[in-house]
Amino acid sequence: MKKLLSVLAVFMFFSVGSAKAVEIVSFNAASSEAYVGAFVKGIKKTAELYGYDLTVFENNYNQAEQNQQVEQYLASGALPDVFIWWPPDATAGLGSLRKLAKTGVPVLKINQLPNEQDKEYIFGYAGPDDSLRAYNAGEMMVKAMKMKQAAGGKGYNVIALSYPHSYGGYGLSINAFKQAIAGTDLNLIGDIGEGFGQANGYKGAAKLIAKVKDQGIHFVYGMDDAILTGGIKALEEAGYNVDWKAMDDDSVITVGTVCNGDKQMIEEGKQFGTTLQSPLHEGQLAIKLVQEYMENGKLAEYINFTPNPSVTAATMDFTALIGFDGKLYGIDELCSGAWK
Amino acid sequence: MQDLISSYKKNLLLSILLTFFVLLFLYGIFATNNYFTWFNFKTIIRDAALYGIMAIGLTFVTLSGNFFLLSIKETAAICCVSFAMGMSTGYGVESWVGNFPISLLVTLLIGCLAGAAQGLFIGLGGNPIVVTLGGAGILYGIATWWTDNLVISFRRPNDAEWLGTGSFLGLPTITWSFILIAILAEFVLRYTNFGRKVYLVGSNRAAGKATGHENLSMAIIVCTICSALCAFVAVAFAAQMSSAQANYFSAEFGSSGDMTILVIATVMVGGNSIMGGYGNTIRTSIGAIFIAMIDNMMVLNGLNSGPRIVGVGLMIVFSILVFALYAKGSRAQE
Repeated sequence: MKKLLSVLAVFMFFSVGSAKAVEIVSFNAASSEAYVGAFVKGIKKTAELYGYDLTVFENNYNQAEQNQQVEQYLASGALPDVFIWWPPDATAGLGSLRKLAKTGVPVLKINQLPNEQDKEYIFGYAGPDDSLRAYNAGEMMVKAMKMKQAAGGKGYNVIALSYPHSYGGYGLSINAFKQAIAGTDLNLIGDIGEGFGQANGYKGAAKLIAKVKDQGIHFVYGMDDAILTGGIKALEEAGYNVDWKAMDDDSVITVGTVCNGDKQMIEEGKQFGTTLQSPLHEGQLAIKLVQEYMENGKLAEYINFTPNPSVTAATMDFTALIGFDGKLYGIDELCSGAWK
Repeated sequence: MQDLISSYKKNLLLSILLTFFVLLFLYGIFATNNYFTWFNFKTIIRDAALYGIMAIGLTFVTLSGNFFLLSIKETAAICCVSFAMGMSTGYGVESWVGNFPISLLVTLLIGCLAGAAQGLFIGLGGNPIVVTLGGAGILYGIATWWTDNLVISFRRPNDAEWLGTGSFLGLPTITWSFILIAILAEFVLRYTNFGRKVYLVGSNRAAGKATGHENLSMAIIVCTICSALCAFVAVAFAAQMSSAQANYFSAEFGSSGDMTILVIATVMVGGNSIMGGYGNTIRTSIGAIFIAMIDNMMVLNGLNSGPRIVGVGLMIVFSILVFALYAKGSRAQE
C-alpha cells in the first residue's frame, strides 16, 4: 500500500510540475496558395521553435467554409490557449469571431486590419499595412515619373490592376495609392478588379487596355505583383514596350507590391519596383505576438505591421530581414512568388 | 400562312425572349465605346480561346452521354506545374533537344493518363460527377504537394515562348490553336466513324451497346481527349507566364468564377444537350466567344465583378431556357 501511495505521489508531482505547452488554433486560408503556404510555414516553424502546439484549419478563401470550421471546432468542446484568426471576409466572419471570443480564449487577428466591429473581440493584429504598401508603390511611381520627365519623356496616364473591388484590402490600397500620386502629373484613367493571380491580371488588363487604349497608357499600378505580372503580359501582347529604362513617350512603366510575382520582371526592367511583404515574416510575427501575450497578458502594440519597404532592381540584392527566429532572410526567401 | 401563324404562336415566348435579347445585345454593342475595334476583337477571341479549347474537349464528354468532368481546372493545374517543372529543371534529365519537347510530352502524357483513368472508372459504371470530383481532389493535391505550394518559374527567353506569347498574322498562337482545334474537332465528330459513335452512344446507350459500341472504351477516349486539351491549355498558359502554380486556374475571386464551371457553362451556352447525343463543337466555340463578348461589353461599360458574374449567370439561364423552349416548339410542330 505504501508503495502504491509513493508511486501516486510521484505521478501527481510530475503532473502538476510539468508546464503545459501553449496550444494555438489557427483559422486561415488554404496553404495551396503560395502566400498562405509561406505564412503557414512561418507559424509552424516558429511555433515549433517556441515549443507551442499548433493546429491549422484551412479554408479556400471562403468565409462560409471558415464559419463552419469554427462551429465544428467549438462543438468539439476543445479550447486552445490562443486563436489565430485570418478571415477571408471580416464582415461576414464577425459571427464566428464573436463565438471564438465568447469562449474566453484570446483571439489574434491576421492579415486584415481590425475594423470598428471586430476590434473589441481581438487582443491585437499582425499583418501587412495595405495603406503603407500602396503608398510606397505610389511614391515609387512618382519617382519614376520624375525620372521620365527629366529624360524628356511625356505621358502620365495610369491604370490600376486591382484586387476585386469587394475585397477588404482594395479600398485601403487604392486610396493610399491615389493619395501618393495626388498633386503630381500622374492621372489615374482606369481601374479594374478582375481577380487575384496572374491569370486574372492578364484578363483584366487585356479588357482595360481595350477600354482606355485611345487615351494612352504610360504607367501601371499592380495592387500585387502576381496581378501585375499577368498585366505586363497583356500589355506586351497589345504591342506596348514595357521598359521603365526607355523613358520615352510610348513606353510603359509598371509598379507593383507584395513581391508575389516574378523577380525576372524587375531584373529585366519590365517592373520599376515592388514593396516587400513577407508571408513568412507575417507568420513568425503572429507567433511572436502570441508569446508576448502569453507572457504579459497584453501586447505592447495593438497593431503590429510587417515591414513593407520599397524594393527596386538597385536595392533587391541588399534587402533582408531578421526573422523572429534570429535568422537573416534574404529577399528570395521572404517573397512568395517566383523569386528563387 | 396559317402554319406560319400557328408556328409563331407555339414559339411566342421563345420569339419574345430572342427579340428582347437581340435588342439588348445590339444596344450594348452600339452604346459601348471601343467595342468595335480590331484590338478588342482580338481580346475577345484571346479570352475565349483558353476556356473555349477546354470546352471543346468537354463537348466530346457531354455528347457521349457522360455529363461533365468536374476535374477540368485540377487537370490543368497538374499539367501547368508539370510543364513548368520540366522547363525549369528538365525533370533532372539531360536532353540534347532542350527542355521544351520533353516538358510538352510529359505534360500531355500526364493529361492523357489523368483523363484515361477517370474515363475508365466512368466507363465501368461510376457516376461521372463522383468520379471526377474524386479525381479533382487527387490531381490538385498532387500538384500542390509536388510544388510545395510555390510558384515554379522558368527563365526567359525559352523555347516555349512562341506558344505562350507568339502571334501569327496579328493573332496570338493560342487563338489560332482555338480555331484549328474547333475545326478539327468538328471534322472528327461529323465525318469520322468515331464521331458518329460518340453521337450514337450519347443519344441511346442501350442502342449503342446492342450494336457493339460499349461506353467503356468511349468514356476512356472522350475523357482522354478532354484532359489532353486541358493539358494543352495549361502548357500554353504556363508558357505565356513563364511560370506555374497549382492555383493558376482557380479564380475564386475572379469575375470569371471557377474555371471548371466556366467551361461547363460554355458547353451549356452553346446549346449542347446535357443528356448527350445532341450538339457540336462549333456551338461550343460560339458559346465561348459569346460569353467573352458579353463579359467584355460589361467591362467596357465599367461594370465591376459582381454585376458581371450576375450577367454571365443570367446568360446561362437564358440559353438553357431558349434551347428548352426551342426543343419543345420543335416537338410540338412534329
